[in-house]
Amino acid sequence: MARAHDAQAALLALARHADIILDAHLNNGNRMRETSENRTILETLEHHRLVWRYRDDDDPDPNLNKELIHLLVHITGAQRRRWASEQIQDLWAALEELFNDYREAKRLGAFADKDRLESSIKEHLNIIIEDIRSATEAYVGYLNSGFSYVTDLELRMRENTRAIDKAGKLNTLFDSFNIRELAEQAGNDPFLRRLLLKHLPASLEEGRKNLSYALNQLRLMLVRMREDQRLSKLVGGFEVHFANQPGYIPSIADLNLDHCPARVNITSVFHVDSQPDIYDSADEDALIEMAMTARTVHDPEPTAKETNRAEAITNDRDTQTEIDEDDPLDLLAERVVQHVVHGYVGDSELHALEVLAASNLSSEGAVWLSALEGELNALAPEHRDCVDVVYWTSPHTTYPDNLSIYNMTLRQSDVGSRI
Amino acid sequence: MSANPLFEQTVTALLAGEIICEYRYDSLYNFMTMPGNQQQVAAFLSQMNRVLRRTGSNDAWLCAFEDTTSKAVKDSIRNRFDEVANNLEPLVHFLRLIMATEGNERPVSPGDSISEGHILERISSAPSLESKLRSLTESQYFKSRKPDSAGQLRVVMGNLEKAGYLKRKGTTGSLYLATGKWSWLYDLMTFIQTHEGIADSGFEDDQQGRIF
Repeated sequence: MARAHDAQAALLALARHADIILDAHLNNGNRMRETSENRTILETLEHHRLVWRYRDDDDPDPNLNKELIHLLVHITGAQRRRWASEQIQDLWAALEELFNDYREAKRLGAFADKDRLESSIKEHLNIIIEDIRSATEAYVGYLNSGFSYVTDLELRMRENTRAIDKAGKLNTLFDSFNIRELAEQAGNDPFLRRLLLKHLPASLEEGRKNLSYALNQLRLMLVRMREDQRLSKLVGGFEVHFANQPGYIPSIADLNLDHCPARVNITSVFHVDSQPDIYDSADEDALIEMAMTARTVHDPEPTAKETNRAEAITNDRDTQTEIDEDDPLDLLAERVVQHVVHGYVGDSELHALEVLAASNLSSEGAVWLSALEGELNALAPEHRDCVDVVYWTSPHTTYPDNLSIYNMTLRQSDVGSRI
Repeated sequence: MSANPLFEQTVTALLAGEIICEYRYDSLYNFMTMPGNQQQVAAFLSQMNRVLRRTGSNDAWLCAFEDTTSKAVKDSIRNRFDEVANNLEPLVHFLRLIMATEGNERPVSPGDSISEGHILERISSAPSLESKLRSLTESQYFKSRKPDSAGQLRVVMGNLEKAGYLKRKGTTGSLYLATGKWSWLYDLMTFIQTHEGIADSGFEDDQQGRIF
């Protein structure tokens, strides 16, 4: 009972996930695609042993079970449609017997048998026509997949070669239906003539067209795959070479280049430029306009161009250097402070605004004081202790608790102790 | 005689050392496929000691020197060769990275779509690919100090776009088209392989890994 229950559950799982299973069978070389959406389905199918997989992280896509593939081949009719030659041959042999029986029934005047044989011949011939059509159509569809589910180029090429062989067999079969033989089979019978000389040749012709197109595609694909394989080996060869010889750089220093190999020969950049035509009065207006804009001395501020996508930024610090020009005000502040720390100031003192006035630098007092304060703050503690600073302040007009600094006096700190 | 903008653009691009393919310069490529235009361009170039050539796979046009005996021409050819030779290793590693993320043995070909998002998705699920990308950005050609894979990949793709190997598809996305310059690179690599006696690789180890 439990076994029947399990089987029933397996069949239900097949029915429930028919789409995804068929997709794996028809389009993905009998392998299920493992995605987050498929995970539950795969677990169910694995539970019923309908799929299996290698326990290997590099090969995660599970395969359909062999028995399930047989079932799918049978129910999709793929085998019969894809390689229909044997099926068609059997049908044709059966049809030849029916032709003989039909002629015999006609000769004997057995009209009931003749009618039965007529419909039987019609049925067989329809099956043949249908098989020829579907065989070639399915074949073309199969080729259109490009065997993309076979990831390895060598294996894909083998699959391609096999497909060409099978197409060749199908072609041989089509050739075996020759018109003269069909005409002999038909004799003078209008019913047989219509079937054998009109409908069957039309289907054969259509099948041949499909097949020749498919074969051509296959051959093109094979050429492409061989080229891909060559390039793949080429790239791989270089990769191995670079790994074995670190720092290797190819060179053509040894080549004379008098007879330069075509693959190496490419021109360098050739700038195509010309002068404005100042001799043609017809261009005068345009040139005047250009000259006027060219006269602009100040470059406009570079504006950041807004793009829809962030531009790539390379932090290539090895090749780019940023020139940081020193601010003369900062330099002056640095010199003043260094002078007070290390120089001989003696008992004298320096008034910040007087220093600024003497320097001929045009700067606001507040900016200068701020630069000086910054320089003092940047001193090492032992040096900072060497400087005494007196801030000249005045209370704010509205908020008298707030003091505004309007000047600074700097002196060496040990001066006071000496006094 | 009236000016022909397409002729001018084609000749200018060729003389500037560009490789004309349908993915990067579609209008110029179409111009070249029109009857008579190739001859016109070739005739013009031949007066400047240049010759019109096609890559081995016939999918891109380029301009080569006709007479290579002068020293200036030889120097120029050597310089162009050195530009690629110095950066060949990172380019080869990029090709292998794409092959690994696509899961097949097919190297990038002109016209291939390369999605930054798709590569990132694969890289984020495989630490080995992530380290390949990181080592790629340690090379001078793809130099980047971005800490994350997305930033590193953007630098790589951006540099290849600047170098003419990729063309951005649309303006907003991160989808690229491989250009005909890859064909030229493969031609050059084939020459180097023969010239320097570099052996092909069979990838036996990789294949065995996949089959068993």
